[in-house]
Amino acid sequence: MREFTDGSTAIVRGALAAGCTFFAGYPITPASPILMTMMRELPKVGGVAIQAEDEISAVGMCIGATMAGARTMTATSGPGISLYSENIGLAVMGEVPLVVVDVQRLGPATGGATTVGQGDVQFVRWGTAGGYPVIVLAPSSIPECYSLTMRAFDLAERFRCPVFLLTDKELNYTMNTVELDEYQDVPVRERGAGSEGPGMPKTQDSMGLFAPYRYHPPDGVPPMVHFGQDVVLRFTGSTHDERAFITKHPPTVDALNRHLAAKIEEHRDEIELVTADLEPGARTLLLSYGVTARAMREAVQKARGGGQKVSALTIHSLWPTPETAIETALDGVERVVVAELNLGQYRREIERIAHGCEVLGINRVDGELISPDQFLEVIR
Amino acid sequence: MITLAEPIKVKDWKSDVKPIWCPGCGDYGVLNSLLKALSDLKLDPDHVAIASGIGCSGRFPAFVNAYGFHGVHGRALPLATGIKTANPELTVFAVGGDGDAFSIGGGHLPHAARRNVDVTYVVMDNEIYGLTKGQPSPTSPIGMERKASPYGTYDAPLNPIAMVLSYGASFVARGFSSQPRELTELIKRGVQHQGFSFIQVMSPCVTFFDTYAYFKEITAPMPESHDPSDRMAAMQLALERTQYLGVFYEDNRPPHHVHMEELQEKAGNHLTLEKLLERFQR
Repeated sequence: MREFTDGSTAIVRGALAAGCTFFAGYPITPASPILMTMMRELPKVGGVAIQAEDEISAVGMCIGATMAGARTMTATSGPGISLYSENIGLAVMGEVPLVVVDVQRLGPATGGATTVGQGDVQFVRWGTAGGYPVIVLAPSSIPECYSLTMRAFDLAERFRCPVFLLTDKELNYTMNTVELDEYQDVPVRERGAGSEGPGMPKTQDSMGLFAPYRYHPPDGVPPMVHFGQDVVLRFTGSTHDERAFITKHPPTVDALNRHLAAKIEEHRDEIELVTADLEPGARTLLLSYGVTARAMREAVQKARGGGQKVSALTIHSLWPTPETAIETALDGVERVVVAELNLGQYRREIERIAHGCEVLGINRVDGELISPDQFLEVIR
Repeated sequence: MITLAEPIKVKDWKSDVKPIWCPGCGDYGVLNSLLKALSDLKLDPDHVAIASGIGCSGRFPAFVNAYGFHGVHGRALPLATGIKTANPELTVFAVGGDGDAFSIGGGHLPHAARRNVDVTYVVMDNEIYGLTKGQPSPTSPIGMERKASPYGTYDAPLNPIAMVLSYGASFVARGFSSQPRELTELIKRGVQHQGFSFIQVMSPCVTFFDTYAYFKEITAPMPESHDPSDRMAAMQLALERTQYLGVFYEDNRPPHHVHMEELQEKAGNHLTLEKLLERFQR
């Protein structure tokens, strides 16, 4: 069985399969189809979708809903991420599970609202004050839109943090034929199944009071308990102690800030996700993500059909950078070519890792896609 | 609204964190009135949530033995909307100051009002930014001279009651932190009201803009003849120089979460016996 569909539809299906019960968004091209499909589909399963008054409210509602027990998602494009920024910080500091879809479009400000781009790669990573890590996944096909949305929900529960699904206008809008058996379900953890195991936590402070932000060890994740679970608790965006009371006590603040980074960065192996198509003896490694990876895969087939040796790496987990997988793929090649619809944002990461290996870029910011032929030109 | 057979005493509604507001701050009166209202209404701490933003009012949730969410500046209403929508069994408050409610967060107020989210929004209005040390706020009077407005303010103050009435809020009231008994009653009525309840509380800042005497002079009890179902009359009273204390307006249209249930049914999610049982077990 096959169907003719688009990425937005697959993302909504993935969210519903993951148990999403709350969505809030604000109209913006090219993310609006997700809002409209959620408005139609979520009430059918007893969930709530709200068209908020602005992006600030949309992400704020999601954070509130998560803390009252819902599984939440929001979707926007680059300009909307700008408005999400402060509340993304709240979700980082408050340790709020949340899935944020960024359907990228071209350029700063209004830019090319109906034009494809991949210029938010660094923005989503560094998009809030303070510079703490988030997780960013990037599907490169419609079935991956489905499975990576599910995975985003799972990682949000696992690490209690905002998880971005970074897509683009073409991936979300362009209709494709998809074989139904290409859709793969990903298991999504239950709420509260943090590092201390599932079920209601018994985390208490020295006075025997409930401590919603107790983590141990430093890279552990406090088990998630939400409003309505019979244990009075608080959440906050300020530096806080384990009971969520504001503190400026340097050792407590230091431990908290290091914990926010460590809980993600010390667990890269759980997040890392790539598709490695490595050919022994290849001198060139092509590397890409998102919609651009599709042209790369086509180019690889053509090149190999013509007798050329070439390797390719599709990055699905952009942040934290999957360093182990990248280092493995770089082993033995002379040059790596990073293709992306921006002026080389992810190439910076590869340059950091690729000791001694030549790093080149294929970059387009004219609103057109990188073609398979552009890849073929650089393979040797 | 989920209630207990026996009320929890006011002292047990207090958390073990003591407020650090300036001595004489109006917010103490607001906190005490809110705690008394929680006790009088026999509410259950496991079913009360308080969302706040930033400002002297922001730390309010830390002082109450209930679920609390201290978010970012001006965004208490989106948080409260999300909380109430995700779990309608909770009694939800949003608290803030005049900067939080009418300046940075001013864009959320009309929409919470027209959505009729079942949230009681208590705005402690001191006509100044206190936490950041005395800048003019959207309700500061014209000509106010402070360090941040050394030549006096020129911008006309907002009229929060008239504004919220025109936004279509279904419960609109004003209280004064120096009249705790009346304020407690207003908060209780706001909680009992099914829908968006807006309560402006005149709550002076003793440190940067001491308005106790001024508020006493310009406030007056709501005329007994006022009919709170009469929106035009409410608007008339809101536009007078006298700041009336009491309920300006109340209507009983269904709140947002009830509409959401209707909408789910329309979409084909009919309430089955299993779903009912599942809800009951929660």
